[in-house]
Amino acid sequence: MVARRRKRAARDSREEIPSPPGYSAIPIKFSEKQQACHYLYVREHRVREGITSSWPQKRTLFILNVPPYCTEECLSRLLSPCGPVRSVELQEKPDLAESPKEPKSKFFHPKPVPGFQVAYVVFQKPSGVSAALALKGPLLVSTESYPMKSGIQKWISDYTDSVLDPEALRAEVDSFMEAYDKRIAEEEAKAKEEDGVPDEEGWVKVTRRGRRPVLPRTEAASLRVLEREKRKRARKELLNFYAWQHRETKMEHLAQLRKKFEEDKQRIELMRAQRKFRPY
Amino acid sequence: MGPAPAGTQLRGAAGEPEVMEPSLEGTGKEEKKKSSKKHTMAGSPMEGLLQPVKLSRAELYKDPTSEELNHLRETESLFHSSLLRLQVEELLKEVKLSEKKKERIDAFLREINQRIMRVPSTPETELVDQSWLPVGVQVPLHQVPYTVKGCFRFLPPAQVTIVGSYLLGTCIRPDINVDVALTMPREILQDKDGLNQRYFRKRALYLAHLAHHLAQDPLFGSVRFSYTNGCHLKPSLLLRPHGKNERLVTVRLHPCPPPDFFRPCRLLPSKNNVRSAWYRGQSPPGDGSAEPPTPHYNTWVLQDTALESHVQLLSTVLGSALGLKDGVALLKVWLRQRELDKGLGGFSGFLVSMLVAFLVSTRKIHTTMSGYQVLRSVLQFLATTDLTSNGISLCLSSDPSLPALADFHRAFPVVFLDISGRLNLCADVTASTYHQVQHEARLSMVLLDSKADDGFQLLLMTPKPMIRAFDHVLHLCPLSRLQAACHRLKLWPELQDHGGDYVSAALGPLTTLLEQGLGSRLHLLAHSRPPISEWGIGQDPPKHRDSGTLTLGLLLRPEGLTSVLELGPEADQPEAADFRQFWGSRSELRRFQDGAIREAVVWEAVSMSQKRLIPYQVVTHLLALHADIPDTCIHYMGGLLDALIQGLKENSSTGEEALAAAVRCYDDLSRLLWGLEGLPLTVSAVQGAHPVLRYTEVFPPTPVRPAYSFHEHLRERASLLPRPDKPCPAYVEPMTVVCHLEGSGQWPQDADAIRRVRAAFQLRLAELLMQQHGLQCRATATHTDVLKDGFVFRIRVAYQREPQVLKETHSPEGMISLRDTPASLRLERDTRQLPLLTSALHGLQQQHPAFSGVARLAKRWVRAQLLGEGFTDESLDLVAAALFLHPEPFTPPSSPQVGFLRFLFLVSTFDWKNNPLIVNLNSELTVEEQVEIRRGFLAARTQLPVMVIITPQDRKSSIWTQDGPSPQILQQLVVLAAKALPVLEKQLMDPREPGDIRTVFRPPLDMYDVLIRLSPRHIPRHRQAVDSPAASFCRGLLSEPGPSSLMPVLGYDPPQLYVAQLREAFGDLALFFYDQHGGEVIGVLWKPTSFQPQPFKASSTKGRMMVSQGGELVMVPNVEAILEDFAILGEGLVQAVEARSERWTV
Repeated sequence: MVARRRKRAARDSREEIPSPPGYSAIPIKFSEKQQACHYLYVREHRVREGITSSWPQKRTLFILNVPPYCTEECLSRLLSPCGPVRSVELQEKPDLAESPKEPKSKFFHPKPVPGFQVAYVVFQKPSGVSAALALKGPLLVSTESYPMKSGIQKWISDYTDSVLDPEALRAEVDSFMEAYDKRIAEEEAKAKEEDGVPDEEGWVKVTRRGRRPVLPRTEAASLRVLEREKRKRARKELLNFYAWQHRETKMEHLAQLRKKFEEDKQRIELMRAQRKFRPY
Repeated sequence: MGPAPAGTQLRGAAGEPEVMEPSLEGTGKEEKKKSSKKHTMAGSPMEGLLQPVKLSRAELYKDPTSEELNHLRETESLFHSSLLRLQVEELLKEVKLSEKKKERIDAFLREINQRIMRVPSTPETELVDQSWLPVGVQVPLHQVPYTVKGCFRFLPPAQVTIVGSYLLGTCIRPDINVDVALTMPREILQDKDGLNQRYFRKRALYLAHLAHHLAQDPLFGSVRFSYTNGCHLKPSLLLRPHGKNERLVTVRLHPCPPPDFFRPCRLLPSKNNVRSAWYRGQSPPGDGSAEPPTPHYNTWVLQDTALESHVQLLSTVLGSALGLKDGVALLKVWLRQRELDKGLGGFSGFLVSMLVAFLVSTRKIHTTMSGYQVLRSVLQFLATTDLTSNGISLCLSSDPSLPALADFHRAFPVVFLDISGRLNLCADVTASTYHQVQHEARLSMVLLDSKADDGFQLLLMTPKPMIRAFDHVLHLCPLSRLQAACHRLKLWPELQDHGGDYVSAALGPLTTLLEQGLGSRLHLLAHSRPPISEWGIGQDPPKHRDSGTLTLGLLLRPEGLTSVLELGPEADQPEAADFRQFWGSRSELRRFQDGAIREAVVWEAVSMSQKRLIPYQVVTHLLALHADIPDTCIHYMGGLLDALIQGLKENSSTGEEALAAAVRCYDDLSRLLWGLEGLPLTVSAVQGAHPVLRYTEVFPPTPVRPAYSFHEHLRERASLLPRPDKPCPAYVEPMTVVCHLEGSGQWPQDADAIRRVRAAFQLRLAELLMQQHGLQCRATATHTDVLKDGFVFRIRVAYQREPQVLKETHSPEGMISLRDTPASLRLERDTRQLPLLTSALHGLQQQHPAFSGVARLAKRWVRAQLLGEGFTDESLDLVAAALFLHPEPFTPPSSPQVGFLRFLFLVSTFDWKNNPLIVNLNSELTVEEQVEIRRGFLAARTQLPVMVIITPQDRKSSIWTQDGPSPQILQQLVVLAAKALPVLEKQLMDPREPGDIRTVFRPPLDMYDVLIRLSPRHIPRHRQAVDSPAASFCRGLLSEPGPSSLMPVLGYDPPQLYVAQLREAFGDLALFFYDQHGGEVIGVLWKPTSFQPQPFKASSTKGRMMVSQGGELVMVPNVEAILEDFAILGEGLVQAVEARSERWTV
């Protein structure tokens, strides 16, 4: 079977490589030594009208199935023959909703272990995209001039990277907390200013920090109030006072027994099916 | 297309609902039976899964009929609950004989009766002249000494009567036995036949002649000899029907003397009926001492005379009382599950029936009682009465000529007299067997009183084989050594009494000897009873030594195991001589701290595991000293599995000491943290959260002393780094410690800000520990690593309110509600539940010293089967804890071996589908709460994980099994455990060739599609492998403490990194299996569903390629490239990728 597949693969490389509609396939290998290739499926990045995308139209190439050993620098190097590359972003999945990305702190968001990823490559000019679509490959991730670390080499360098500088961490924490404190102080000042001041329709906002604090508006608190009400009502009720109440309690007891009996019967049935009554 | 369906249980669609496959239990055979039977459950999609019962209102509240009310009332008064009643009824249905079979058996019995009567008689000959016996039949008795006076002739029996349980309707399946008594005609016997085995010789000859004639009859499928209840003087003839009925029934023929033939006064326990002159071929010693009494011999003769009176008694008592019969049947099942009923001196079904008769006569049992109540009353009686000191008697007459109970107590260890007042029914029962029965009865009573939900299952359906019930087991083999032991112990009168059966003669004295020697270390000593053998009529009867081995089971007392000293009397006391005599050369005079000079025995044992094996030293010493049994004959099964959890390069300890050292170091560290000055907030709690700190890490950490030359240095961070040109450095896993800080209004109320503040605390902690205590520290945003005395701890600062902050969500109306989020659950698990669990299990270890060993062996086994990644550490620890907290029907294990066997048993038999495993830590859950939990479990079954473990801290969600195992992995574990258990038990029960104890720890590799072989150079824990390599690489550790101030390489384990990478990249195409303890191979299984060609989807192109198939474009996995990726991603680590392509196709 494998042999047949190899033949088929060989034939494919001579002819057109099958690719999904709208995409073109570029074979990619780790290095010369490998026999089989993975395929990058690439197309121009487009979004439906009305949706704004952070990637510039026309100049962005969308790539599927980027192998785990392929980094951003490496993609940039591989695609630079098609035209100057402005930026490369690797992601776990294609992102649909757009949100501006903040640079993540390396202290609080350690690098995840890469799997197969998708990439958005932004070229300087739209011509880069069309050149990339026509690439034939196979692309080589690791070459002699640009060796790519993998295996033991990569884990050792990852370990080295994971030993971080505490001073840098301290600096980052300090600057974050400074900004945070400032923001909180501003909010508080604003709240204080608004306290007790009616808005244009005459409503006064009641806050926790007011002169007369009110119940916190949490779910737990409101549930507590309901529970207390219920208990109060239950205390007033009389049990087994009227004859009908008595009758009903008895009936309820019987119903409980019946239900238990049915449950037990079901369990027995199941145990019998599992042959649980064969002692040895 | 897709992988060939060559059966592995792991396969199965990943997208299936989280319900295990119906084949949870057992073998394919059972499967077939199940499907052939029509059940209401069959065909429903949720087969084998309990559903919450839904009854309509009308059904629930309809008017009750009087019949229904009666039934309900009866259930309440006669049984525990309706479930128990139904279960008992089902069990009785299963073990009782059906009417149809009864008819067939009756017909067979009538046939036998006729044929026996037709056997021809023979002329009279001397007993010693046996030439008349036809060729092809041997006398089923050892005739030692051969010469004996008397004559024999065969005459057809005067009477053939059916006796025993078949007649009473209390016999239970399987192995239906019908006992038939053949009354020998008076002409065969002569006066004084009671003497010198003459009666038994005649009895044997009678059977031999019968056997010869019956064997020629085509009616019988097999005609064989056996011993009645294992007694070597009393053979019986077994007849089985021919053809397909062969297994239907076994008819046993017992010849017996005519009524009133023997004079009962000659057979009292104090009388002698085997003369020394005859037996030993010498005259009694000249000093005129009397002949020794032969109580056992007398009893065996008496038993034959009393067969009919017993059956009469039982039929009058049990006659019409159905409940009593049910009770006897239940008791027989109970005994059989505990292996108490078989062999010489077993507590047989007959004894129990007589016991019921006794309790009826003393009005402890009433004839209207239900079977369950009878069971309960008998167990209660057994648990509270001691027949070894206060015998009981069924005899009501006050005839002064009858012997007193005290006479019987002198002759027998256990006394229970029959209705004649002369026969001790428990004559062959040894004291240890009786104590075992008592012990079991006590355990069962506790279980019945505890109102446990599955009491029935544990009481009557769970087998208790010796190897799983006792902490240590030892085999004595070959048995012929016991003959010498008998002579050494001067047991000649006993031998004479037992007709030369040296095994049963030596049993009593040997057990007493060992019980005395083991003293406070021992809870209970039990012995196996020689099995009852069967042999063909042409063969010689088996010799005493042919019964294989004598197995002793020791139930240890954990508190007694800690002492290495056997304290004797003071040197000048008269008892000192006895002590010296008992212990022989091991006894020595010692001066103690209080100034006393005493005799004492000191055993050599340093570590916990050696102390556990002190009983071995005691047993070998005492047996060699007193019974001449060399230690080559003693095969002690107690510490064989210890080798699997022994640390590297040491074989004297199973790691409890190393774990304790790590815990001590942690205690020191927590004191330092408490006393730290200069933190803005004080430390409110320090809690351990790592397996080491609850004694369940398979290989305990050792202090690290890294060699600097072996590593790269990162001077400015004071850290060592691995070097690419050297083998991988030793694996050091930091031990997690959670450090709670006090609450304060100063904490921010925003998740991001809290994280920053925590990071600031981590930095501050590192600084202060370094300044105030000179400890090497390294801080990151989430934890601080501290190097203390060679151990590395990972301190995580926690803030109590943080999970709550993470849970808060604002509704549009401004209401704040708390909703669990993945992040909050994770944080709660790591900082709240994990420390709680760790401290609870730490406490368990203090109570049960064997917990550590059991949990580690269990974890080791699961990981060695390459399934370790499917189960969290905590879930396996909890399963091990369940063995200690809910040991019923056993007692908590006191040795790792027995605990591990029970772990395998639990895993292979527990019905995970329908039951949560409740681990009642610190007994915090009441019975009512447990019932409530079970109900909630049934209602929410489909949302819960496949394996549900409930603890008092986690009553609903089973957090430790949330992320695994998957149904397939659990199923695989169940199958492997079910296979491993019998293999291991067989090895441990077989003294001749215990074989390789590691067999069950080696994983089956033939089921995997691809094997990735790793190079040992980069496996840091290579030496921990099940088969420890003869040579491995240096891991850069110094043997002497060096100037250690640089942080060693932490948590760097290339195989684990590699597996994580593989899972991330190919997780949706394949499953990866690896043993983290030095595994050299990674097993890969392709997922069949992902091999189905799929249409193109942008979100699932990972590792796939487009091909055209029949003109259509579809995606299939790019297997060749992936196989090459395996090698690329693990460059340097991977030795070879072996694809077994015959197993799958694309």
